[in-house]
Amino acid sequence: MSIKWLSNQDYEKLLSGLIREYSLYAPCRSEKELGFRLVEEISQIAIEDSGNTRFPPKSLFFPQSEVLMKYNGILHSVEKEEKRKILFGVRPCDARAMKLLDHAFNDEKAPDEYWQSKRDSAIVISYACIAPGGTCFCTMVGGSPFGTVGSDAQFVKLEDGFVIRIYSEQAEKLFTDLPDAQKKMTQAANDLFDQVINGMPAMVEKQQVHDKLLSLFESDFWREISESCLGCGVCTFLCPTCFCFDIVDETLRKERVRNWDSCMFRIYSLEASGHNPRPTKSERTRQRVMHKYAYWVDQINEIGCTGCGRCVEFCPVNIDIREIVEKALHWEMIGGAK
Amino acid sequence: MKNCYEPIPMHINRIVVETTDSTLKSFELTFDHEEDCRKFFASYNPGQFSQLSIFGKGEAPFGIASAAWEGDFVRFTVQKLGKFTSAIHSMHVGDRIGMRGPLGNGFPIDEWLGMNILVIGGGCAFSTLYAMTKHMLHPSNRGNYAEITALYGTRNSGLCLYKPVIEEWHIRDDIVIHQAIDVQEENWNYHVGYVPAVLEELSPKPDNTVAVVCGPPVMTKFTLPILTKLGFPDERVYTSLEKRMKCGVGHCGRCNIGHKYVCKDGPVFTLSELHELPNEI
Amino acid sequence: MENPRIQKIRAEAQKLLIEEKVDVVIGFKKGSLPSKMQPFFASSVEEIEQLELNGLCSNNLAVYLNHRSKGERVAIICRGCESRAIQTLVLENRHARENLTLIGIPCIGILDIHKIEQKLQGSISSITEEEGQVVVVSGGREHRFDRLDLLHDACLHCEHPTPVNVDIMIDEAGWIPENSFDKSYCQAFRLLNIAQRYEKFSHETERCIRCYACREACPMCYCEECFVDHSRPQWIESTVEQAGQQAWHIIRAFHQTGRCVSCGACERACPLEIKMTYLTDLLNQDMERDYGFEVGMLPDQLPPFATLSETEEQFFHQQDGDHVH
Repeated sequence: MSIKWLSNQDYEKLLSGLIREYSLYAPCRSEKELGFRLVEEISQIAIEDSGNTRFPPKSLFFPQSEVLMKYNGILHSVEKEEKRKILFGVRPCDARAMKLLDHAFNDEKAPDEYWQSKRDSAIVISYACIAPGGTCFCTMVGGSPFGTVGSDAQFVKLEDGFVIRIYSEQAEKLFTDLPDAQKKMTQAANDLFDQVINGMPAMVEKQQVHDKLLSLFESDFWREISESCLGCGVCTFLCPTCFCFDIVDETLRKERVRNWDSCMFRIYSLEASGHNPRPTKSERTRQRVMHKYAYWVDQINEIGCTGCGRCVEFCPVNIDIREIVEKALHWEMIGGAK
Repeated sequence: MKNCYEPIPMHINRIVVETTDSTLKSFELTFDHEEDCRKFFASYNPGQFSQLSIFGKGEAPFGIASAAWEGDFVRFTVQKLGKFTSAIHSMHVGDRIGMRGPLGNGFPIDEWLGMNILVIGGGCAFSTLYAMTKHMLHPSNRGNYAEITALYGTRNSGLCLYKPVIEEWHIRDDIVIHQAIDVQEENWNYHVGYVPAVLEELSPKPDNTVAVVCGPPVMTKFTLPILTKLGFPDERVYTSLEKRMKCGVGHCGRCNIGHKYVCKDGPVFTLSELHELPNEI
Repeated sequence: MENPRIQKIRAEAQKLLIEEKVDVVIGFKKGSLPSKMQPFFASSVEEIEQLELNGLCSNNLAVYLNHRSKGERVAIICRGCESRAIQTLVLENRHARENLTLIGIPCIGILDIHKIEQKLQGSISSITEEEGQVVVVSGGREHRFDRLDLLHDACLHCEHPTPVNVDIMIDEAGWIPENSFDKSYCQAFRLLNIAQRYEKFSHETERCIRCYACREACPMCYCEECFVDHSRPQWIESTVEQAGQQAWHIIRAFHQTGRCVSCGACERACPLEIKMTYLTDLLNQDMERDYGFEVGMLPDQLPPFATLSETEEQFFHQQDGDHVH
């Protein structure tokens, strides 16, 4: 791993070069929100010290609606090869999320080529968070504002420029012309990290959360915490680690499409016989929380939430998943555990 | 590598109306390409399912109801319930249809060598048990298993699937079959009652026996405790679960029970595995 | 200025619980962020202490009636729009009025958090409401705003902030007297031609991600199976394409005709800040003009589209400027 230095003066030259040679996606401002868009010109990039895009960058690898195949007469699968992409300015929580999603989509027996081909052709450059927001809690779930899981390289913004930490060969090629970072710069980056991490929430013990949630499966706990839930899909649609999808045939365009779906909707698990294993919001909220904080732990020994805080910020009724986990840990079982 | 969402092209070779009310039909599908046929049977194991696909109508999962030795075709028994199944029911011999499979884990019949097999099925969920039983009854396989007993219940005699073969099973000496219907009918010589009750009556011995249960959720819910009561240990009781599915390969997230996916880690689970999972059937 | 209102609400709510007249009191409590309040379900006298009501209470609590069990005796803190929504739900036979105890309080208007955020650079540390003003602490500094500048648009068009047909009225004077605002803003839309109207409509709906927060936040959207979930027939596509997004919004608006109380909870729930109430306000203006019907105001006036009688005169007026050819 090498560490490079990019001064403020050289920033424009480097970025403009990358914008020219690659499809570079970065947070850009539109009328209503910050989102990852294809950058044509450097002034469009709007990465601030604090704040994240409304939609996580996973949408670039897993768009909300994606044509899987067309079937007008002759069946053909959609072109899966993509031009080389750079995702620039990804927050560590979102980068870690993409690594988690690799688990969901990669499978020896049935690899998801739509996801994989896009991932393979993209370089992820993250931005260390130097001013985490009020809804950020990556440290609670095993992440870090300077976390590098899922990043090919990471920019740490200092006063005079950026310390660039490089983790992969494909990222190495992008920065060969830059000088190595001097010790005092890397030290400044480390000092900055120490400052930032100071105010962040403590990590929960994942096995403890997993076990407690499972023991609460049949309890009243879920009815209580889901009482104010409206049953919309905002939390799942803005979540960087949610990956549930529906497959439908669009008959007018003769396409088989996959669309994001949500376990919070009633019909999600409704069976043809009319039986619904999750008939009320209580069971559906239970599924959502337990998937993130228990089932992911069973599958890969990691919490499936990356603490990006979007669900907390945009839930119309302020259901806060941090509060749910906290409450679960302290919930007293009446009548004993399962 | 093959796109995991792309259906294999098939044709409908034969259609059998299974029930007197025509709500259930069996479709025997043949492969358009030899290569696909070979790949399918190289990995097919009874208990697995496939996603049937009609472009413009969608996809749905169906248990595979045929044994490999029956021929180069795959049988599915489809109940007419909704948009997709109605579309299949209105198809004819010679029509094109897509299939993705075999999917899921299937019954681990290789682990049951030398054991007695107790097959308990209800209604239209009998299809994969049928495939498994047919596989075991074939001369080249029969010697691998001890006694085979089947209990098959349907709401009435008209709803019994695969009638010609089931009738033949009554006569064979290498399988004992018990049939049950809910309410007595004229000319019905077999059991009357719900499957769990008939099972308790029959009181099969658990020694060296594997029990395999497939039925509607309500039947399974009441049958499994009877088996436990009769002394069957949890790791020798198997059931095949159903769930709403879309991708069938463990990507879309929909069919999970706890951390397991019914399409990928199942649909066959032992009772001991189910006890470790949250109660969400 | 807040305190007397909240104290009176709490006192009335506690009384109802102590006298065992209700099983649960639905209101709001403090949220987990400075800009948020949470819907709250209090069933004990101790819990009542947590009840709060302020300009950040952005949901229409009437929606929770659709989530509760039928026989439950419920008390709800009602502002103008909640009371009118509940009145409509009762008229549509969704709930028995005798199971409801409505604690009414004249509304001071709901703040639009996006209007606040647009005026600031950093994140919000606290929001305090004083008489006529809102004080926001952000980036270590205090910012003062006129309350009217921060009100949600639905509140700026609200004709009836005072609740109707409630059982208990908290008699604190509301800061927004009746008829301070009106729906005259609709006129601007009526003056647009078809192409311009479509431009506005498609501009708003192209952001839609079909998360259905609008539907779920709305007390009037209580269908067990929404038309978007039907597969036989499939009315609209579920893929996120313009046609589907537009169909979703326009059909929902029409389903709300004569039912929408213009609370704006849908817009506040929307993560993409899509405007929707302008559609139902236009449609409801037609209801007033053609049938003399105002949503949720009278306990015995049935919604015109929900009634049919032999003596009914079928009519609607076509006015100039309404239908442009």
